[in-house]
Formats: sequence, C-alpha cells, structure tokens
Amino acid sequence: MKQCFFSQNNINHIDYKDTEILKKFLNPHARIISKKKTCVTAKNQRKLAMSVKRARFMALLPYVAR
Amino acid sequence: MEKKAEKENKQEKEGNNLQVYEVGYHIVSDVSIENLPNEVENIKNFLVKEGASIISEELPKMRELAYSIKKTVGGAKRNFDTAYFGWIKFDVGEASIAKIKKFLDENENILRFLLIKTVRENTLFSPKIPVAVLVKEEIRAVKKDSAEKEIKSPISQEELDKTIDKLIAE
Repeated sequence: MKQCFFSQNNINHIDYKDTEILKKFLNPHARIISKKKTCVTAKNQRKLAMSVKRARFMALLPYVAR
Repeated sequence: MEKKAEKENKQEKEGNNLQVYEVGYHIVSDVSIENLPNEVENIKNFLVKEGASIISEELPKMRELAYSIKKTVGGAKRNFDTAYFGWIKFDVGEASIAKIKKFLDENENILRFLLIKTVRENTLFSPKIPVAVLVKEEIRAVKKDSAEKEIKSPISQEELDKTIDKLIAE
C-alpha cells in the first residue's frame, strides 16, 4: 500500500516555491492529480492544492500546459 | 465603561501581535543586475521601517515564467516572459501589513508579488544552500586529491631520476 508522500517525509508545511515537489502531483496538462491516485491524505491534499494555486499565480507553474 | 476600555486594550494588543509573513516577488527583467541589490534593499528598508524583523530571504534570480505576464509600464502594456524571483520572510504586527501591501502595489519595478502568512521554520523541503555546500565540499575534496597527487608526482620523478642515475653509473 502506497503512503502519503508528505507524511512519509515529515513535511508539515508545503511551500509554493518547491515547484519540483509540486510537479510530481500534476498531470501533463498541469492539472492537480486526485488524492485517490497519489494516496495523499485529505489534509495534505488541501495544503497541496493551496500551494499549487499560489505557484500558478506566481507563474512558477503553468495554469494549463500542452 | 471598563469593559469597553478592556476591549480596546485587547484590540491594540492584537494589532501589535507579531505574525510571520512571507512576500514572494518578481522584479521586472528591465532592471539591470547591478541595480538588483538596490531594489531588494528598497523593499527591506521599507519592511524594517514598518517595524518588521527579517527572518530569512532569498535574493532574486532570473527565471523563466510559466506564462507571460502583462504589466502597464509608463502607459504602455508590455509582456514579460522572464523576471527576477526572490522572497523575504519577516514578522511584523498585523496593523502594518496593509501599508506594506500598498507599498508593494505602488512599486513599479515589481511585476507581481504574493504576500502570505507562514511559519518561522524553514518550509522548503529541498533547501538549495545545503546542496550547494555539498557540491562545494565535493569540489574541495577533488581539488585536495589532485593537489596531493601533484605533490606526490615530482617526488616520485626525482626518485626515478636518482634510480636512473644509479643505473647509468653502474
């Protein structure tokens, strides 16, 4: 059984500047992958979504790709 | 009446409550690298003037934007594909955050900024500094090795010469 990436690595605060980590949870169209597929806990998925949206606003990540 | 005064006191205290904030900013690519420290200094000076104490920061670096950002510069709309991205983490009373926001809004050289509440601890999972240090250490180690080899080789050559001389003498 796969476990939540953030719980495993003891990440309490997901930073929007960590684009390399955030990219792992985006599909080729730059949409956020559901927690069903990535096994991220609900709590962390909410934080992740917030960080991705912040990174998008700051043009560190695209809103749409391809 | 006393209750009212208490309430006001409470509000004042809340106003002075320190909260950790982080501002991430893009400085327009028109600014030359020589003037970049001045821009950062400008922002930091304002923060300090508002009573903020800076916790950590990263100096702006040129990076490509994920999409082009429009900004009106001197009445003309312009597209920017690259910008200098940096951030500053600081703590300040909640009362002065509005002023800081206004200052950043009015700064013409800031393409876009993001002001968020955060925590004092480092939130970056893969901090760049330790990696750089590691790489430097590796380079140093390699340099040391090569230096030792260089020292060793002349000695061995001398020894070789001596042995050759001896051989010739015989």
